[in-house]
Amino acid sequence: MTPIIQTHQLSVGYKSGSQTRTIITSLDIAVSRGELIGIIGQNGIGKSTLLRTIARLQEPLNGKVTIYGQTIDSFSRNEFAQKVSFVSTEIVKLNHCTVRQLVSFGRSPYTNWFGQLSSNDEALVSEAIEMVGLTSLAGRYINEISDGERQRVMIARTLAQDTDIIILDEPTAFLDMPNKYEVIHLLSELTRKKKKTILFTSHDLNIAMREADRLWLITPEKFLDGAPEDLVLQHAISNLFDETRLKFDSRKGEFSIRRKPIGSCNLIGKGTAHIWTKKALERLGYDTENETYSIEITVEEKAGTTRWHLIHEDNTQTFNSIYALAGCLKEMFTDRNTNSALG
Amino acid sequence: MLLVKKNILIFTVLTLLLLALFITDLFFGSVQIPVKNIIQALFSGNSGKEEWNLIVLNFRLPKATTAILAGAALSVSGLQMQTMFRNPLAGPDILGISSGASLGVAFILLGFSSMLGLQTGDAMSNWIIVLAAWFGAGSVLLLIFAVSLRVNDIMTILILGILFGSVSTAIVSVLQYFCNEVLLKSFLVWSMGSLGNVSGSHLLVLLPSVGFGLLLSLLTIKMLNLMLLGENYAKSMGLNVNITRFLIFLSTSILAGSITAFCGPIGFIGIAVPHICRMIFKTSDQKTLLFASIIVGASIMLLSDLLSQIPGNGIVLPINTVTALLGIPVIIWIIFKNQRVASV
Repeated sequence: MTPIIQTHQLSVGYKSGSQTRTIITSLDIAVSRGELIGIIGQNGIGKSTLLRTIARLQEPLNGKVTIYGQTIDSFSRNEFAQKVSFVSTEIVKLNHCTVRQLVSFGRSPYTNWFGQLSSNDEALVSEAIEMVGLTSLAGRYINEISDGERQRVMIARTLAQDTDIIILDEPTAFLDMPNKYEVIHLLSELTRKKKKTILFTSHDLNIAMREADRLWLITPEKFLDGAPEDLVLQHAISNLFDETRLKFDSRKGEFSIRRKPIGSCNLIGKGTAHIWTKKALERLGYDTENETYSIEITVEEKAGTTRWHLIHEDNTQTFNSIYALAGCLKEMFTDRNTNSALG
Repeated sequence: MLLVKKNILIFTVLTLLLLALFITDLFFGSVQIPVKNIIQALFSGNSGKEEWNLIVLNFRLPKATTAILAGAALSVSGLQMQTMFRNPLAGPDILGISSGASLGVAFILLGFSSMLGLQTGDAMSNWIIVLAAWFGAGSVLLLIFAVSLRVNDIMTILILGILFGSVSTAIVSVLQYFCNEVLLKSFLVWSMGSLGNVSGSHLLVLLPSVGFGLLLSLLTIKMLNLMLLGENYAKSMGLNVNITRFLIFLSTSILAGSITAFCGPIGFIGIAVPHICRMIFKTSDQKTLLFASIIVGASIMLLSDLLSQIPGNGIVLPINTVTALLGIPVIIWIIFKNQRVASV
C-alpha cells in the first residue's frame, strides 16, 4: 500500500534573502493511513517548519513531499485543500462570527465561487460540529467561548473540510491541562473512528506519549521515529533531557526534576500513605533508597488515622500530616545549613 | 432561519431609508423649488421654469446619484481593506490610497494635460483622469501591501499609510509650484471637487467605473470570508492568495480611485461604514457586510450631502467636513473598543 504521506530526501528550513537556514536535512519518512503522530522537540528545532512544509504552506529547501504518491505541488490549491487541512497556532479572534459560520468555512474547497452552501454542505457542517461535541454552542460567537472550545471549533472546521489528513501546529499551546488532554484525545478518536491521519506538534510530551501512535522526536543531532514506548525503551526520551534539569523515569513513564539529594531517609510503612510520603520526601530532596541514612520515618495507620514518626539523632517526633512533617524537615535542613555556614 | 428573516427585514428597512434620502436630497437645495415642480421636472422634463429644470436635472439628480456611488464605493473599498489587512482602522483615506489617486490625477493634469491635449469635460479626458487615479491608488496600495508583508504591527502600517498620504500630498504641492497658471487653475478646480461638480458627462465615466468595481467586489466575497482567518488558513482552505489579492486590489483601486478622481478626497466614510454595518447586522459574514456597506454607505453620503446644505441660506459646507463630523465619532468608538478585541 502506498503511504498516505511520504517525504523524499526532504530538507526544510528558512530562506531569507541570500541566507538559508536548514533545520532538518534529508528526511525520508512514511506515514500510513489512520496514524496519530506527535512531533516533539525543543523550541526552534523545526517542528512547525516541518509541519508547514508538509501542509504546503512553505516550500521545502530540498527534496519533496508526496501524498497518495503524488508530489504536493502537483495538486491545485483547491484539490490539495480537499486532502489536507490545517490548524495553526494562531488564535482566531473574530467579532460576530458564529461557531457554525467558522466551521462552514471548511466547506470552501467544495463550494462555488460565491461560497454558497448546499444542503449537503450544511449537513456536513452540523455533523462536524456534533463530532467535536459543540452542537449546543453552534449559534454562539467564537469570541464568547473558551479557548478549549475554540480549538475544538477549529478541529470541526477541518472535519467539515473532509480531508483524510489533518495537520495541527501546537493544538494544545494555549489550553489548560484538562483541555489539553481532551483535544489530543479527540484527535486520537478521529484517527480510530474516521481513519483520519493526523500530525501535530506539541510540547506536552506526557500527553503525546499517552495518545499518539507514533512520535517524531527532533533533536539537534537526529530525527527519531517510533511508537512512544519504543522510544522509551531505546532511552531516546530519557536522553532527550540529559542536559536539562528534567529527568524522565523510564520505569514510571514520568518526569521529575533532577535534584541533588540533601540527605537520605529510611521510610517504613505501606499503602497509599507510604507512596505519597515517599513522593513528598523526593520533592524535599531526600533519597529514600539509600542503604545509609540519617533520618528514619515510620508511617503508621491506625483506626483510620495516619501518624508520621520521625526519628532523628535519637529524638522522636510525631506528626499528623505530611505538611507538618515536611515543615519540620525543611527547618532541620535550614538550621543545619545556617549552623554550618556560621560555624 | 430566524436570523435570515431578521436580516431581510433590516435590509428592507435600510433600502427604504436609502430611497427616502435620495428623494429628500432631490427636494432640498440652496434654491427652493416646490415639490410639485420637482416631480414635473423629473418625469416630464418640464417644471414650468427653465432654471428649475436645469437645477433638478443637471445638478440635483447627478449630485444625488454621485452621492450614492461615492458612498457605496468608498464603503466597499473600506470593507475590503479592513478584511484584507485584518485591520479595523484600514480605509482608503487613512491608508493614503485616496491621496495616491490625487497624485495620479495631479501628474496628468499638471504634467501632461497639454501634451495629451486634454479638454476638461470631454469623455476621453475623463477616462484618462480616472485611469490616472486608479493607477495612483493602486501604486500606494501595493506599497502599503509590500510594507505589511514585512511589518506585522497594525499601528505601524497605519502610520506608514498616513505618511505615504502626506508624501503624495507633498509631491502634489511641488507639482503645483512648478506648473503654469492655466494648468494650476484647472487642477485647483479639480482638487476642490465635490459631489456637486460631477456633471452628466462625468457620470458616464463614474457610473460604469464604480459599477465595474462593485461587480469585482462581489466576486471577492468568498475570498474575503476566508481571508478573515488569515493567510495561512485561507491557503489551507484552497484559496489562491495571489489571485485574491490581485482582485481585491484591483477592485479597491477602481472604487476609491474613481470617486477621488471626480469628487476629490472624501474621508472617513470608508472606515466608518463597514463598522456601522457590523454593528447593525452583528455578523462577520462578508456577503451581508458588502451589501450592507453599499446601502448604508450610499445613505450616509446622501445624509452628509443634505446636512452640508444648511437650509434657509445659500451656504454649502464642503462634503469632507460633514463626513468627518459623522465618521470620526465612529472611529473613536472603534479605537476604544479595540482596547479589548483587536480584530475586524
